[in-house]
Amino acid sequence: MAPSNISHRQTHNLLLISKLLSLRDTASPLTLLLDSLEQPATPLIKEYIRRARLSKVHVTLIAFETLKPLDGVDAFISARRKSPSDIVKEVSAAYRPDSSNSPNRRRLILIDSINPLLHSTRLDNSFQLSTFLSSFIVPTSLSASSQPEASLVITFHQDVPGRPSPYSPPPLSILTYLATTVIKLHSFSHILAQKVARDRSLVPPVFGLEEEQDGVLLSRLDKPIGKDSAEGVVLEMEYRRKSGRGVLEWYLLPPASRYPATQVREIVTLLDDHPLYRPPLDDDAGDEEEPESTFELRLTERQRRDREGVVLPYFDAQQGHGPGEGGRILYDMGEEDDFDEEEDEI
Amino acid sequence: MPSQPPLPHLLTPYVTSPPQASLTILSSVLGATSNWLVLRFLYAALYASPASGVGHGVLGVEAGKKRKVVLVSFLRGWEFWRSEAKRLGLDLARLIEKRQFAFVDGLSELFSSPNAPTQPQYPGARIPPRTTLPLRSQPGPPRLRQPVSPSAGGDELLNPTTKEPGPVKRLHLSGCGIVALDGIEKEIIAVINQLKTSTPAEDGEVSEVLLVVDQPDMLLAATGPSKAIGATEMGEWILGLQQAASATIVTISADSPLIHNASAFAHQPATPLETGHAAFAVGLAHRAEKVMQLRNLETGAARDVSGVLRVSKGGAWGQREGAEAEGSWEEKEVLYFVQRDGGVSVFGRGE
Amino acid sequence: MSFRKRNIGLSTGSDRTPTSDSPAQPQQATPSPPSTPGVRPSPDDGRPTTSTGSPSLDNLLAGHGGLPIGKTLLLEENGTTDFAGALLRYYAAEGVVQDQKVHVIGMPEQWGRSLPGLIGPAEAADEKVDRRKNDRMKIAWRYERLGEFGAGVAGARATSGDQSPSSADNNLDKQPAFCHAFDLTKRLTHPSISNISYIPITRSSEPLLVSIQRKLQALVASSPPSTVHRIVIPSFLNPTLYPPEVSQPEHVLPFLHSLRALMSLPTSRITAMITIPLSLFPRSSGLMRWMEILSDGVVELCPFPHSSDALSTSGAATSHEEPPQGMLKTHRLPVLHERGGGSDQNIGQDWAFTLSRRKFEIKPFSLPPAEGDKEAQDNARSDKMPKKEDLEF
Repeated sequence: MAPSNISHRQTHNLLLISKLLSLRDTASPLTLLLDSLEQPATPLIKEYIRRARLSKVHVTLIAFETLKPLDGVDAFISARRKSPSDIVKEVSAAYRPDSSNSPNRRRLILIDSINPLLHSTRLDNSFQLSTFLSSFIVPTSLSASSQPEASLVITFHQDVPGRPSPYSPPPLSILTYLATTVIKLHSFSHILAQKVARDRSLVPPVFGLEEEQDGVLLSRLDKPIGKDSAEGVVLEMEYRRKSGRGVLEWYLLPPASRYPATQVREIVTLLDDHPLYRPPLDDDAGDEEEPESTFELRLTERQRRDREGVVLPYFDAQQGHGPGEGGRILYDMGEEDDFDEEEDEI
Repeated sequence: MPSQPPLPHLLTPYVTSPPQASLTILSSVLGATSNWLVLRFLYAALYASPASGVGHGVLGVEAGKKRKVVLVSFLRGWEFWRSEAKRLGLDLARLIEKRQFAFVDGLSELFSSPNAPTQPQYPGARIPPRTTLPLRSQPGPPRLRQPVSPSAGGDELLNPTTKEPGPVKRLHLSGCGIVALDGIEKEIIAVINQLKTSTPAEDGEVSEVLLVVDQPDMLLAATGPSKAIGATEMGEWILGLQQAASATIVTISADSPLIHNASAFAHQPATPLETGHAAFAVGLAHRAEKVMQLRNLETGAARDVSGVLRVSKGGAWGQREGAEAEGSWEEKEVLYFVQRDGGVSVFGRGE
Repeated sequence: MSFRKRNIGLSTGSDRTPTSDSPAQPQQATPSPPSTPGVRPSPDDGRPTTSTGSPSLDNLLAGHGGLPIGKTLLLEENGTTDFAGALLRYYAAEGVVQDQKVHVIGMPEQWGRSLPGLIGPAEAADEKVDRRKNDRMKIAWRYERLGEFGAGVAGARATSGDQSPSSADNNLDKQPAFCHAFDLTKRLTHPSISNISYIPITRSSEPLLVSIQRKLQALVASSPPSTVHRIVIPSFLNPTLYPPEVSQPEHVLPFLHSLRALMSLPTSRITAMITIPLSLFPRSSGLMRWMEILSDGVVELCPFPHSSDALSTSGAATSHEEPPQGMLKTHRLPVLHERGGGSDQNIGQDWAFTLSRRKFEIKPFSLPPAEGDKEAQDNARSDKMPKKEDLEF
């Protein structure tokens, strides 16, 4: 890829993630975070909240599994034992913009985990996930115009299995179909370990539940590869533009301790730009690995040229003029040869 | 091997004072049960005073923070916990009298069908002990159990006159779905609240109650979708209990058939039991700050190793502000060995 | 071990009356019920235990020398053989002989008539073995420990080996027998065999297992509190016996849980043994795992697929021993694993079992140290005349 292309991609995609995380221009009304035990979405959610506070966005957390509100959340709604319609009502009641007051604040609505809702046995058949979700983004109240524009960020735990229903699409498919942005979270150290294995053509390692080891739920250890700098969350983002075109990019979100909470400058980087993921290449391209030996295995430049100049025998016969014309045997009959019409047909 | 301290020092930072509103998951497998670890948590919370012995001293009064514990056990009875704690030097019966500890029995009558005429009509009510079982003179030491009237809330919950108080509250599951769970939840919360407010006269403050729920996954496995109890309902149930207690510890089974059969990589379709269990267990791990996983040694059984303990940060780790600074523990994997005398040694690999 | 076979000519009459209660019992340290026949305190922690009817299974149970009262043992068996059923019959027969109350679930009365016949106390047989072993020790000293395992628990647990047999010798005459030897080819005739209660599988208005549970509860409640009960559940959930809905988790798990509750009552003295076919309920299923979690002990039998002839010498440690008929795995042991596991001398062993007419024997499984060499030697020696074994291979 040409260097100009890379820098273009860099600037463009960094702008994009910045826009998405800061909820500017309602770039993505419905964002889906796919996390797992190996990399929970907590750091990213905190980042969302941090940015929302910086830009004075009203934050609502719909808690299916969180006990205490996170810092910086303006409205905390416990969804325990509540019907979906009640939740919608509470959410819309949580923030009533005063028409007299300043212009509408934007809203960020977080759902800490959609899984309990999807697998609840209490839901009747009339429940529709898409209707439920869109009712947050497009409130159905009368004063629709006065409603603030809202962005919905949903966390889905990929490793929590659901009840299979044979004919309707699985909830994850519905969610990814509806979402305008899908961010899949990976642990940076795992990504590094998998890259190292792939670079050596080894089977990439798996972690945690995927190990399928008896008694293992979580494999995360603080320093799996012994490097403090391998902290951070890798975001695999898929963004669908209105035109329908998708953008795929891998980012790295550094740990929150690396920057002050009030920092406005973008902290997310492209994964490809990280020195641990893609070590800067040395300048001399000729630095190929050669086996060390007492023999001189290399060729000098002249030898190489000579070798390329050698014309192999039957070289011209190989450039045949059609199929089947390649490897003919040229042979002149001698007098001692007995010509057999059936066998020696040319 | 020399006798071990009740709390191995490698283990101490992990079992002492779980932070406020936190959930800790202890996962076990068939061959590596979590009971010893639960007892270590009990010990760390209840045996707070360093100097005074249990037998003759006063407990936990000198300690700055008074901890109380409610233990809800679905797989093991009071006798087990009492005798095992005694091996650690923890007299649970005495602690019940001192109102620092309460035991909720989820084993004895959880599923027993209502056959006695004295059976209470509403779910989760306290059941007079064993009306069908005549208490005759027994060869063993008699375990007196005072009948407690269901209406009395819980003032008679503690029965200091009894030499050996039995399980004071027995859970009973009846009905379906949320109603059944709600009944149990109310019972447990009643016990928690009672313990909270029943502080001895010296200080008026409400003390912290640590809630330990031993294998609630059994409830899920034994009910299932036909009783309208699924992973979500169980998760909400735990959430309700969490709200009542200051910190919660839950033990679950993490055996491979229960967790991995339902994963996307499984080769056979999972049964509802497996799916529900996996969803419940993994869902809890997502909500936990700390997950302590027990498992067998991969290389097979050994004579001086009982199993492997891995402490990991759960999905909710880092949600609270300042958790990084406060939680001064790091993820770790160690081996442990439960000795015959009940002592536990914890050591790293190769030590 | 083949030498045991010669030692079993004991009359059944002398030990039928196990009530001679001597005041001087050196081994009974704890005051737990002393008068009950067939119950003795565990050498490990003094809790009352009772015999499973087969001495080598008793010795496998984590140093308690028997099945502790209040504990369940789940025997799982692969394939269609019925080794577990044999163990279960020993267990039931031992209960009959000890005048314990035996409850059999799901089997007709014919099952009780097929219990193995009584030979005598197992300790007596073992003592003879021990004495003989001293002679044999000079020849095969390296197998001493293996032999000791099969002996009574006193011998197995003694650190200094020789001390216990002598003291056990003294006790033997006075103490009632803890475990008996049975002969599978004979039929048990005992006065108390009619006391076995059979709980049939009958259709009724309430769920089957609930009614079984209720009947059990009533039976336990209606007997004097000093009675020791044995609950025998042969081939649990087998679809030829049980209706299909029983294997739903919401039926079977509450049943096992209530059984556990019933047994853990401080007022009751119950042990239970359950066999279950693994071919129908594989261990890899979540339901089976829950049944295991709800049991105190889990033992898996894996019979060798071949006929025992084909294996004639491969698994036996010496030529004197009978070849093992299968592998035995202990996944969980009563009390030990409840406490956290580990610390048992038997842990980490591979076990093999041999069922002969007179006993179910469990011993460490070991391939002969030099099987390949032996064959090579045999070949070298008898190259011209191949032996019968070689041909049969």
